[in-house]
Amino acid sequence: MSVDVKRAQGRAAPLAGYAAFVAAVVALPFLPVSPFVLHLAQSLCYTAIAVIGLNVLLGLSGQMSLGQAGFFALGAYGSALAALRLGWPVPVSMAVGTAVAAVGGAIVGVFALRTRGLYLAMATMAAGFVVEILSQRWVGITGGAMGLTGVPQIGGDAATFLALAAGLYLVVQIGADYVNDSFAGRRLRALRESEAFAASVGISVRRWRAVTFTGCAALAGLAGTLFAHQSGYVGSDAFTIRLSISLLIAAVIGGLGTRSGPLLGSLLLLGLVEFISGVEKFGPMIYGGILLTVLLLFPQGATGALVGWRRAPSRPSAPTERATAAGGRGLSLEGLPAGTSLTVESASKRYAGVKAVDGVSIRVAPGTIHGLIGPNGAGKSTLINLIAGLYRCDAGRIVIGTRDVTTLATADRARLGLARTFQNLQLIEALPAIDNVLLGMTRRRSLGSDFKDWLLRRDFEAAARTEALDILRFLGIEHAAPCLPRELSYGHRKLVELARAIAQRPTLMLLDEPIAGLNTVEAREIAHAVKQLRGLGATIVVVEHNMEFVMSICDAISVLDHGQLIANGTPDAVQRDERVVGAYLGAPAESAEVVA
Amino acid sequence: MESTIVPQLMITGLALGAVYALVATGFYITHLTVDKVNFGQGDFVMVAAFLMLSTRSAAIPVMLAIPLVMAGMLLLGLILERVAIRPLDGRRSSNVGAFAWILTTAGVAFIVQNIVELVYGKSSQYSPPLFSSDRNALVHVFGMRLVVEELLVIATAMLVAALFYLFMFRSRWGKNIRAVAYNPDAAALLGIDTRMIKVAVFLVASLLAALAGVLIGPLVTVQPHMGLILTIKALVVAAVGGLSSPIGILAGGLLFGIAEAGSNYVDSTFGDLYPLVAAMLLVALKPSGLFGERAADVR
Repeated sequence: MSVDVKRAQGRAAPLAGYAAFVAAVVALPFLPVSPFVLHLAQSLCYTAIAVIGLNVLLGLSGQMSLGQAGFFALGAYGSALAALRLGWPVPVSMAVGTAVAAVGGAIVGVFALRTRGLYLAMATMAAGFVVEILSQRWVGITGGAMGLTGVPQIGGDAATFLALAAGLYLVVQIGADYVNDSFAGRRLRALRESEAFAASVGISVRRWRAVTFTGCAALAGLAGTLFAHQSGYVGSDAFTIRLSISLLIAAVIGGLGTRSGPLLGSLLLLGLVEFISGVEKFGPMIYGGILLTVLLLFPQGATGALVGWRRAPSRPSAPTERATAAGGRGLSLEGLPAGTSLTVESASKRYAGVKAVDGVSIRVAPGTIHGLIGPNGAGKSTLINLIAGLYRCDAGRIVIGTRDVTTLATADRARLGLARTFQNLQLIEALPAIDNVLLGMTRRRSLGSDFKDWLLRRDFEAAARTEALDILRFLGIEHAAPCLPRELSYGHRKLVELARAIAQRPTLMLLDEPIAGLNTVEAREIAHAVKQLRGLGATIVVVEHNMEFVMSICDAISVLDHGQLIANGTPDAVQRDERVVGAYLGAPAESAEVVA
Repeated sequence: MESTIVPQLMITGLALGAVYALVATGFYITHLTVDKVNFGQGDFVMVAAFLMLSTRSAAIPVMLAIPLVMAGMLLLGLILERVAIRPLDGRRSSNVGAFAWILTTAGVAFIVQNIVELVYGKSSQYSPPLFSSDRNALVHVFGMRLVVEELLVIATAMLVAALFYLFMFRSRWGKNIRAVAYNPDAAALLGIDTRMIKVAVFLVASLLAALAGVLIGPLVTVQPHMGLILTIKALVVAAVGGLSSPIGILAGGLLFGIAEAGSNYVDSTFGDLYPLVAAMLLVALKPSGLFGERAADVR
């Protein structure tokens, strides 16, 4: 679980840290240090650039790449060849090299879109291997192991190159920090938790994954261009799988998903490389040993270890507050839009011959709570997922308000005002409750002004945070705002999820088993909150097994059995319906009469 | 081009392809059960090849050498599970997320590779043939000159694959393994020792690596850095066949081997890259592979 450094430190103005870095880089050449130290400082800057990319890719978005060396090589050869063979000025050649790596990343990124997990690890490893082989054997272009010599250098002295590398590093670090702190970081982390979850809050999963993968490849490429112009020599030996693994080691050892992790990890990596150069014979063993040690003993990395030592886990301060809070204090919510209607027209969905949902038609009136019940396997979850867009209807239509959404993707439906909670609860485990609520909100400012606020103001996202706090207060769990989900009770996690759904400003809410696993007090809190939301005009569809809960809050109820709608009406009418009684008691209506 | 070159290439390709399929079957069984694979599987094959080399050069007969190598690889598999897999249990939400096992198994691979390098040196070595007296002994079939060793490697690999399928789909053990894969909790309730099954699948994978190592030795030169490329090829083979289908993996392995033998013949410089790139394109177009199914990500 990622330690949120920002939270631990409070929000210091980010500028101070950057200024300190600039001062150090400016001062370094004037200090009595050897050229070797300057060389190391240069290497540190470009290594950190590549590691930052990997940190965003793996630490935030949860995608694995074992082929970063390939993109690093593409950047290095792209820039070296453009400068050497075409005679282009170095800044231009570096842009070219970075672009080549980005294109390579986009191509491999096709895999990132189509596959995940093991397959993505395999694809990136294979891609890195292909580039490695090409750089070794395509001697006419790359010079092979002999390499390219006489690649134009930058400036001519070490200080100039250091300034360039440090400047680029700083730009990348600032960009990554902004991503980490802003809406983008929340969205990437949501993507890491689960794609279905990310789509349900309106994130275009494919676009975000592709952009992240390409951007991360471009950063590795940028690092490669600096490497190419550092010493004027580019040989294929530098681009083996060992580089890919080294960059991963740096990312993990520094602390994945933390802001200062990449720089710290790169520093440790360079130290390691220097150490190993003395005992080259044992190099792989040392790499392997470090991988095992870090992953098994210090999975939080150096940053995590340092911060974990400074910060005791925060505890929700007020279990006492809960009693008074029970289910909201009737506060109003600003800006919850009026609920819309939902129409399901003879929707069907079958899996391998089983009709999970068979020609079901339901109409939910605006501003009402509509219950969806039925025995296990009746098709409730399938229907909810058809409405949310996770599954597509085989036949029939889904209309939200006046808009036919039958063919829309989940994320598009979410952006039209559909919000949902999940049966098995989906929250970003690495972020506090309030950030989970913020995930539901859309960015209402331009990227530029959001970035400017982040850089210059201490109260970044203040308005959105106030709003999120209002929602948490509405649900009676204001005190949970700074807590990580795992620090909260199950009931409060469910409320945080509900808060996120409210933050989406939905015109239609789908609650999938909102009180499953809760005790009666917690269930009452949820019931109260749901009724309050109806009071504010929301339209809510609830799937739930608890009859008392359903009967007490719903305006209308639809009953499913074996994929078919067997009853529809008010709670009273449904409770008296013979087919419903039969479906639940498993007895045909006639025999029920006989017993009676 | 000689008219008999095509069948000869086919046999060469089938021999290597059958070995790739054995390596990839090791991925299949652990992926099925614990959703993880050993990223050092190729290095395990390399270790087995070197162990075979040592036992053979110590003049131990083949029929004794093979069980010895298998025993050694069982031990290595046990260590792998204990060091790189089990400690990660219940840590799914660590920083590295669900991917820590890729790096821990790669870490073990690095260590193993280094040890082999220290013991045997970096240079390539030839492993004596298993079945024939001479590496290049030929048999004439319908006017084609085929390498005896390759034919017997194919036959043995097919036998191992068949035994594996019998084990997996006919034996009680195989049923238990598939039960744990399907639902570990339910399997535990039925009295299956899930802990043991989770260890056993890595042992089976190691045994497959052992046999692959024994068989590959006489086909190629053996050197400490051969593992990575074997891992990559076997992963690609598994992906092409569909990781969830053992028959698909066998077909994928044979197809890949034939394609590789052909493209190596046509282009000796980059020949080994074409099938790799083609296979990756195929997986990009059809992520479930030729024979596999893929469940949607609905959590």
